[in-house]
Amino acid sequence: MSIDVSGLTKTFGDFVALDDVTVSLPTGQLTALLGPSGGGKSTLLRIIAGLDTADAGTVTIEGREATNLPARKRNVGFVFQHYAVFKHMSVAKNVAFGLEIRKRPRAEIDKRVAELLELVHLSQFRDRMPSQLSGGQRQRMALARALAVEPTVLLLDEPFGALDAKVRKELRDWLRRLHDEVHTTTIFVTHDQEEALEVADEIVVINDGRVEQVGSPDTLYDKPANDFVMRFLGETTDLAGQTVRPHDIDVSMSPGVAGSTPGTVTRILRVGFEVRVTVTTDDGAEALVTMTRTLARSTGVEEGAKVWLTAAKGATAVPVMRAV
Amino acid sequence: MSTATARVAGGRPARVRRPASRHSLTKGSALGLGVGMIWFSLLVLIPLTAVVWTAGEGGLGTFKDALTNKQTFNALKLTVLSSLAVTGVNIVMGTVIAWVLVRDRFPGKKLLDLVIDIPFAMPTIVAGLVLLSLYGAESPLGLEWNNTRKAVLLALAFVTVPFVVRTVQPVLEEMDTDVEDAAASLGASRATTFRRVILPTLAPAIFAGATLSFARAISEYGSLVLLSGNLPNRTEVASVRVYSAIEGGNQQSAAAVATILLLVALVAIVVFDLIQRRLARRG
Repeated sequence: MSIDVSGLTKTFGDFVALDDVTVSLPTGQLTALLGPSGGGKSTLLRIIAGLDTADAGTVTIEGREATNLPARKRNVGFVFQHYAVFKHMSVAKNVAFGLEIRKRPRAEIDKRVAELLELVHLSQFRDRMPSQLSGGQRQRMALARALAVEPTVLLLDEPFGALDAKVRKELRDWLRRLHDEVHTTTIFVTHDQEEALEVADEIVVINDGRVEQVGSPDTLYDKPANDFVMRFLGETTDLAGQTVRPHDIDVSMSPGVAGSTPGTVTRILRVGFEVRVTVTTDDGAEALVTMTRTLARSTGVEEGAKVWLTAAKGATAVPVMRAV
Repeated sequence: MSTATARVAGGRPARVRRPASRHSLTKGSALGLGVGMIWFSLLVLIPLTAVVWTAGEGGLGTFKDALTNKQTFNALKLTVLSSLAVTGVNIVMGTVIAWVLVRDRFPGKKLLDLVIDIPFAMPTIVAGLVLLSLYGAESPLGLEWNNTRKAVLLALAFVTVPFVVRTVQPVLEEMDTDVEDAAASLGASRATTFRRVILPTLAPAIFAGATLSFARAISEYGSLVLLSGNLPNRTEVASVRVYSAIEGGNQQSAAAVATILLLVALVAIVVFDLIQRRLARRG
């Protein structure tokens, strides 16, 4: 049982948002749809929710064919980047909306709303209007509203995108803990690789309307399928025709190792514990190496020094594919 | 905080508080407020007071005479009822037109958006002429509505079209479609979404437009005198009644009718505001 998307295609005029996407998203997990802006991940999420319709392809939610089902019948919770709160309703009313539409008894609604507000730590704000809440509080309210109807799947579209860095980080941790408590199948869209790596059980990398790779954060980081995934999931640099991580390069002051690339240190930047060394190799390319302050000192790296670079043993590396 | 302290210490809160708030005005805003108040008084408050004063000079009797005069009473009744009817139509049609202009795409949309304002921009007597040539005697449409009550409704509807459209339009443009998507994903049908989410958001704008439209309708003169024929007890409206009272040298009676119109407008503003608040809170 899961959410199965098969052969989804969606175009907006000339722009291809999704190009024959087939992917299966496992039940009970927290899955991230990761990719650059305009890559099609939000479109995929909206099609799963029934807020957009695909030109071709099918969507199955927990074994139930949902391709032609309207949004209101899919039992899907949706959280929007800009909260989409009902401005004229109090916090409690917002959360109760889905239950009131389902005509549940008043007492049951009140009980459920109280539970949910407790869950998202907004109990003391139940009678406030949304305009009196901060961004983070509004998003938590939106989350409670979506959870109120006990959705089969919870979809979040860049849920922390409009929040400042500190709140974003807090909410990210909180979402992870909430998911461990509630276990609702959750899919969230993000363009922030750190967010995806930190929160998700499984990541689907989407670019140019296609799925580049599906896997756990470790798999994606350690065994990227191609240089796009590698580049998107963290800092990279090119060395001898390969894409490697800057912290996976060994620097030597003498040409000891066979196959090492000679170059000259052209710039050193110290950021806290980290030292970022720019090396111009003898064939004119630039490579970035990062190392700890301690290592830089003991190696004796300094501007103008002649160095030899090698990819560290066991480093993740993929061949450079330029002009993709 | 200072309010609370003042209340505890002073015992008579309002008196203690006032001077402090006056001092909190900056020079610029004090000047602005002063100029604004003088301008408003000269243009609005003083003339209005003068009208009410003139009407009041004759005592309550003047009002009683005005209201018991069958012709005046019928004119007032026709004015108020027609204005209410036209405002009702505007609430629905204005919202529909605004919706179409904001949400739909069709050829000629820009043109329609422009044309909506014509009843605003046009001198009312010209509007009257246009209506007369279309719906008057020898109407090319075969609708000879001149000298009937239909003519009054038609003229009022014509001049008040833009009000609700123009107040609702910007609010609709600002409105996030995400909110509708959220309601749909929570299980709401289109109708429920409209009633519980869209309407409460639009209500203040709709009723602001309705108030303007009603106020304009009860005071309309130019566009309907030609078409309605001003038949006593049939198609004569209150503003025409005021005009003929002045023509006949009866200043006090004119002022009495004017004051009644003023009261009706005031009541309408309050009632519309109450309905609006209710709708906006319902959700």
